[in-house]
Amino acid sequence: MMKKLVTIRRKALAASEEQADKLRERFADSGTLVFNLISSPGSGKTTLLETTIGRMAEVYKMAVIEGDVATERDADRIRAMGVPAHQVLTSGACHLDARQIETALEATDLLPADILFIENVGNLICPTTYDLGEDFKIALLSVTEGDDKPIKYPAIFSRADITVITKSDLLPYVPFDLDTVMAHISSLNPTGVILVVSSTTGEGIDLWCDLIASRFEAKRRS
Amino acid sequence: MHEMGIAIEIYRTCREVVREHGQGRLQTVRIAVGELAAVEPDLLKFGWEAVIADGPDEGAELEIDFCRADQRCPSCGEAKKRSEGSWFRICPDCGAPLEVRGGDELDVLEVSFETDDEPAEASKTQE
Repeated sequence: MMKKLVTIRRKALAASEEQADKLRERFADSGTLVFNLISSPGSGKTTLLETTIGRMAEVYKMAVIEGDVATERDADRIRAMGVPAHQVLTSGACHLDARQIETALEATDLLPADILFIENVGNLICPTTYDLGEDFKIALLSVTEGDDKPIKYPAIFSRADITVITKSDLLPYVPFDLDTVMAHISSLNPTGVILVVSSTTGEGIDLWCDLIASRFEAKRRS
Repeated sequence: MHEMGIAIEIYRTCREVVREHGQGRLQTVRIAVGELAAVEPDLLKFGWEAVIADGPDEGAELEIDFCRADQRCPSCGEAKKRSEGSWFRICPDCGAPLEVRGGDELDVLEVSFETDDEPAEASKTQE
C-alpha cells in the first residue's frame, strides 16, 4: 500500500463555476444582460420585477427565471404580465446553482432576450456563493427588515453591484435609519450603486429603469 | 446552509483528482477557506463527515486552512488590520476605500490517498 499526495489548487466549486462560464458565453452570444436578484423572502423581488416589466417590457424583450422552494406562484405572476418565465423548484435547497439555470434554459424558451432576471431563492446567505453566469448581482433590502441587515449579512451587500432599498413608502412607519444603512452599504462596497425605491408610489423607479437600460446599452456596445 | 452542497462538490473534486492519478482510498484532503468566502468551516466539516460516511472513503480527514484577507489603504499606503467579523472596506483612519486581497478562497489544495499502484508513480505529484 503506497501513499500518494497530489498538490493542486482547484476551485472547490469548479463544476458549478465551469457551468457559469458556459452560461456567460451563451448570454454573450444572445446579447442578453443578466441580473441575479438576491434578498430575504418578502423584500419585494417579484413586485419590483412586475413594476419593471410594466415600465420596460415594451422596449426590451425580457425573461425571468424564478427560484423558490415550492409553488409556481412567482412565475405565474410574471407570465400574467406576458413575459416568459421558468420556475425552478428547489424542494428545500436554499440557493440556485448554474446547472439549474442551464436546465431552465433547456426547458423553457427564454432566449433570445435582451434582459434576463434570475430571482434567487429568498435568502441573504447561501445564494451569495454561487455564480449563475450573471452580469450583475443585485441585493434587495426592504425597510421593514431592519436597518442592521447589511452589517449582519455583509457578504451579499459587499458583493452586489447594485443594492436596492425597497418599500421606501413605509419609511415613515418603521424605525429604519436610511442614512446609516447607506453608509454601512457604502463601507461594505465602496463602488456599489444604491437605489431607494417603492413599487407602490413609484419613487426611485425611473432611476432603477434608467440604470437597467444603461447597463443593457453598455453590454450591447461591448 | 450551503456547506453540505459545498462538501459534496469538494468530495467530487477529490475523487476526480484520485482518478486522474490512479486509484485508491482518500486519506487527507487539505482545502483553503477564506474568511470572506461566506463558508463556515465547522459546518463544512460536519458536511464532509456526512458525505464520506459509510462509503469507500469513510474516515478521510478534511483539513481546513482558514485564509485571512489582506487589506491595504491606497491613500495611507498601509496595511490595515481587519477586525474580527467586520467586512467594512473603508480605511478607519482616512475613509478611503480599501484594497482587499484574498480571503475569498474556496479551493482544494492537496489530496492524499492510499493506493496499490506501482511505486514509481506513487510519490509526490504536483499540478
